Amino acid sequence: MLIVVDPSSGVPVFRQVMEQVRFHIASGLLQAGDELPPTRSLSAELGVNPMTISKAYNLLERDGVLERRPGKPLVVAALDPEEIELEKLEQLRSNLSGAVRAARQLRLNPGEAIKVFRQMLEGDKED
Amino acid sequence: MSVLALTDIHRSFEPGVPVLDGVDFSVEAGEVVGLLGRNGAGKTTLLHIAMGMLRQQQGTVEVFGLDPHRRPVEVKRRIGFVSENQILPAFLKVREVVELHRSLFPSWDDEMAARLIDRFGLRPGARIKTLSKGQARQVALLCALCHKPELLLLDEPAGGLDALARREFLETSIQALSNTGTTIVFSSHYLSDVERLADRVVMLHDSKVLIDNSLDELHESFSIALVPHRPQGTSDALLALPECLGVRVRTDAVHAVFRLDPDDACALITKQLGVTDALCRTAGLEEMFIEIAGGER
Repeated sequence: MLIVVDPSSGVPVFRQVMEQVRFHIASGLLQAGDELPPTRSLSAELGVNPMTISKAYNLLERDGVLERRPGKPLVVAALDPEEIELEKLEQLRSNLSGAVRAARQLRLNPGEAIKVFRQMLEGDKED
Repeated sequence: MSVLALTDIHRSFEPGVPVLDGVDFSVEAGEVVGLLGRNGAGKTTLLHIAMGMLRQQQGTVEVFGLDPHRRPVEVKRRIGFVSENQILPAFLKVREVVELHRSLFPSWDDEMAARLIDRFGLRPGARIKTLSKGQARQVALLCALCHKPELLLLDEPAGGLDALARREFLETSIQALSNTGTTIVFSSHYLSDVERLADRVVMLHDSKVLIDNSLDELHESFSIALVPHRPQGTSDALLALPECLGVRVRTDAVHAVFRLDPDDACALITKQLGVTDALCRTAGLEEMFIEIAGGER
């Protein structure tokens, strides 16, 4: 599983880990029943405090995204397809928030902004 | 009971020039506290007082509920200490330094010592004076960890080390943390290391504790506001707000640090100053540190 953190980004590392696990689930890279790396090895690999990883895992478990079974590795919970579709949109929304802020500061009219988004999405080389 | 409790600590080395002027903070078991401050802010003095190596002129220190000055042996047996300026006996061999520490600490773990020697690639027969700075620091870390301390005090432990040696030092500390739940207090100018390891940040400034917050709070509930220069008196008006931690007048704008999340900071600035085009955002620790340490308040 690919998790990359940037501790200096100003976003708490536990949130970065949570977001990336959610992203991988939404994209299908992680599927129901897939095991997550143990807290200890993930924290050593990322070079971050183990409490940070367990905080991320605990919150994902609380949200029903991960499932803990006694004495076994943490796994991705079975989510129904509808939830996964919602999660995809949620991921897109959080990725677009910076673009929305920029569009507002640039005082672009929404139609123009949406046109740019559509062009980029469809790989249109019109401009 | 706190692992470390400092209450109203005062210490100066010259009359009238306090290094620590009423410092309070305590550390609970399992916490990892990053101690920040500019050079001369009193971080080393504070750690030396916690170790019982230096005595405060006023206030109380308790380590594991004991006075480190009155019960030095009991306290030191339960602490591991590494400092940038630590001097290991130059003419001893690595093996002899390890043996010396082993004889001082009843809880010494031979297996752990062997594992770390192997991991660091240290030659037991090498004399300390022939080691690189990074290797010497590894020997110091090994000696600080193998008696399985309940409290690890690290004073600028990565100072002078290259990026890889620093990361290895960090990883070893992290492993000690996961294995035994050691409490750690460390000072560092490498703020990205602090962001990796600490769950709480204490910043010393002007001889006092200016900030004592969880790292997550610093990332999410503190913000930097860039406020345009016009109207006159903007920086004074910002400084008058109790939530404002410091102000720096720069050419682009007035930079102000707030103990508020960005939305609340912008709302406050609009309400109190009538300024609607301030930009407020969260920031990483390094930027936050520079704005606070370099600002006036």
